[in-house]
Amino acid sequence: MRIAVTGIGTVSAIGITCAQTLQSLLDEWSGIGKMYALSSNHTELPVGEVPYSDAELKDLLGINEPMPRTALLGIMAAREALRTAGMSIANSQEPIAFISGTTVGGMDLTEQHWADYQEGKAIEHIRMHEAGETTRIIAKHLSPFTSHLSPFIATPSTACSSALNAIMLGANLLRTGQAKTVLAGGAESLSKFHLNGFNTLMILDHEACRPFDADRAGLNLGEGAGYLVLEREEDALARGAKILAYIGGYANTCDAYHQTASSADGEGAYRAMKGALEMAHLNPADIDYVNAHGTATPNNDLSESVALLRLFVDHMPAVSSTKAFTGHTTSASGGLEAAICVLAMQHAFVPANLRWSKTAEGLITPVCHTEHKPLRHVLCNAFGFGGNESALILSAEGIDLSEAPLVEISKQREVEVSDDSEVSTFVSPAEARRMTPQMRRIVAAAKKAMQESGVAQPDAIVCATQWGCMLQSMRFLQDMIASDEQQLKPTPFIQSTHNTVASLIAILTGNHGYNATYSQGKQSLACALTDIRTQMALGLIRSALVLEFDEQVETWDQVLSLIGDRTENIARASIYICKKPSIYQLIESHKSQDKSLFVLRFNPEHPIFAGHFPGQPVVPGACLVQIAEDLLSDMLGHAVRFNSVTNLKFRQAITPDKEVLMTITEGKYTIEDNVSHVMYAQFAATYMCPDSDL
Amino acid sequence: MEQLIEQLKAQIIEALNFEDMTPADIDTDAPLFGEGLGLDSIDALELIMLMDREYGIKLADPKAGKAIFQSVRTMAEYIQANRTK
Repeated sequence: MRIAVTGIGTVSAIGITCAQTLQSLLDEWSGIGKMYALSSNHTELPVGEVPYSDAELKDLLGINEPMPRTALLGIMAAREALRTAGMSIANSQEPIAFISGTTVGGMDLTEQHWADYQEGKAIEHIRMHEAGETTRIIAKHLSPFTSHLSPFIATPSTACSSALNAIMLGANLLRTGQAKTVLAGGAESLSKFHLNGFNTLMILDHEACRPFDADRAGLNLGEGAGYLVLEREEDALARGAKILAYIGGYANTCDAYHQTASSADGEGAYRAMKGALEMAHLNPADIDYVNAHGTATPNNDLSESVALLRLFVDHMPAVSSTKAFTGHTTSASGGLEAAICVLAMQHAFVPANLRWSKTAEGLITPVCHTEHKPLRHVLCNAFGFGGNESALILSAEGIDLSEAPLVEISKQREVEVSDDSEVSTFVSPAEARRMTPQMRRIVAAAKKAMQESGVAQPDAIVCATQWGCMLQSMRFLQDMIASDEQQLKPTPFIQSTHNTVASLIAILTGNHGYNATYSQGKQSLACALTDIRTQMALGLIRSALVLEFDEQVETWDQVLSLIGDRTENIARASIYICKKPSIYQLIESHKSQDKSLFVLRFNPEHPIFAGHFPGQPVVPGACLVQIAEDLLSDMLGHAVRFNSVTNLKFRQAITPDKEVLMTITEGKYTIEDNVSHVMYAQFAATYMCPDSDL
Repeated sequence: MEQLIEQLKAQIIEALNFEDMTPADIDTDAPLFGEGLGLDSIDALELIMLMDREYGIKLADPKAGKAIFQSVRTMAEYIQANRTK
């Protein structure tokens, strides 16, 4: 199936509509400047702020009720995305999914009203602290299709890669038939909390940022929102929608290196970009433009450059970071920048990498001024704390992605470790040094679950948490308020993000696989399980470590008691596997063992393909299709029949030895129950000899 | 100087959460990063903050910490020469 992008919405420092955003990009007008709406003592720090106060935003949106600024920015961008998609689905009964990444959520309200809470006032804001609540509020204000949003709402919170992960989950829901329309992206407002947090890391430039420049001195924090409307190509065409772009491929990996820094070899970034290319069946040379993560910190830009050079070698496409325009919009960045990529494709230009002047060893050279040229395939990167690295390819051409019915999953093991001496057998003192007691328990539970189930390296680590890492969050928040934003310790901030636990476990176990965290109230676990079940159906993963985490914090419980709620200590780790292997899993399993399912021989003068399987005799003249059918039937334990020969697609290449290399890239098959599945690519690595005896 | 070194060791243990350690466990001349205590970039930021909070020393460039944080002794020497409180 092909996934079409039919709507986009953008809100950032350079515009509150796509038209404004486009104009600013073309004019090379940066939105970095002095803070206006944010009330922080650190006025020396430039920011990429949406130039409206909360009250002004509410006026623009026609909203009166209290809500986090993140929700206001999100509503604005999400409404625009639906508008550009021409969505008139007030009467639609089709399943809709709204997936919106955020980390700040309602932190702006919590920091503004902290003193009020101590006096029992302003309690209507308390509930909005939760990241998932922001998504729920946005969904509620997406009129006219609000009432139909209930089927699926999810809030990925993987720090700065959150919005790209939202888009990936959205695409996966479409591919498994769980949604008909997806609105996905992310939103994030500035807050004193994360401005001070980034400041403790000493990675904020006191001037406007200079991505990829030799003298770059850090990032500028920004805010905004960006969403894409996704639907099947045929659905978009059927309702006469204009297709703006297609989802080409995507991948989420973990750098598994450090809580905040990127590895010197850019391993996670490299794997994410490579994975996206593989899903899209594209070569590096096919990419026309990379919208880099490019935060302008010394570490990110060097690590990302290394990864880009590893991947593209001699075919480096045009690269730029639009964060020089918008600042780093953190959890929103993937959605905002994916939408910017769509604008760039539609209007045939490469956005400039502003303020770049000098290169240094190891750094890529970005595009300094707007370049007008057609863009067929564009790569968008978003990397986050904990090494959560994501990459998305957007294409002007339709790219076929496999689809699959949902599969059953089963829980292999569920582990909780509450005894401190048992914790210490799994977590060394060096590992435990920065962790809160509850973090130590979840790490111990995870390690024990992996050990007992024999799944030492699960393909995915997914965490479900209602409140996130509250102990460190509350420490940082209270210190910040008490000290008037001075002399804050970095560690509590680093460990305040919701994805701390999942990424920490990946770092400690060297797991480069899929890594995500969901924060959706009591539905967080359901979101996590939907994610892994969907990916198992598509063969993207075979096993997953699922974490349930929340930590009880006295100060926050006192606040929550005002609304009759409380936190709980939860640290549970479970291993899930797919009940029945799907065709995709067989394919992936062969790939991982570096084995090919088919070895094919091809005589260019002979109309029929012939082939054999590794270790089996050649069957001259035998039809590849029959062989493929027999093999797959054997492996799956039921009859597999390809619908027709024409549904098999091949890709061929001539090697320097004049061998013809063939790869099956696509095939349709029917199983006994006549459910038609499409399988694509990856299931045959093959070689051909023109001089063969065929 | 020796008094400052002892005080600094206690402050490092507290700031970096070395729960089971005492000042006697830290070798004054051993490297703080890599081998020795095995500190990393987050710890470097914590040490910069410690110098700001306890001794009124502000480092604008985190890279400047590299020379200062070679050992507890180099750190103490830097503090003695630059402290404002």
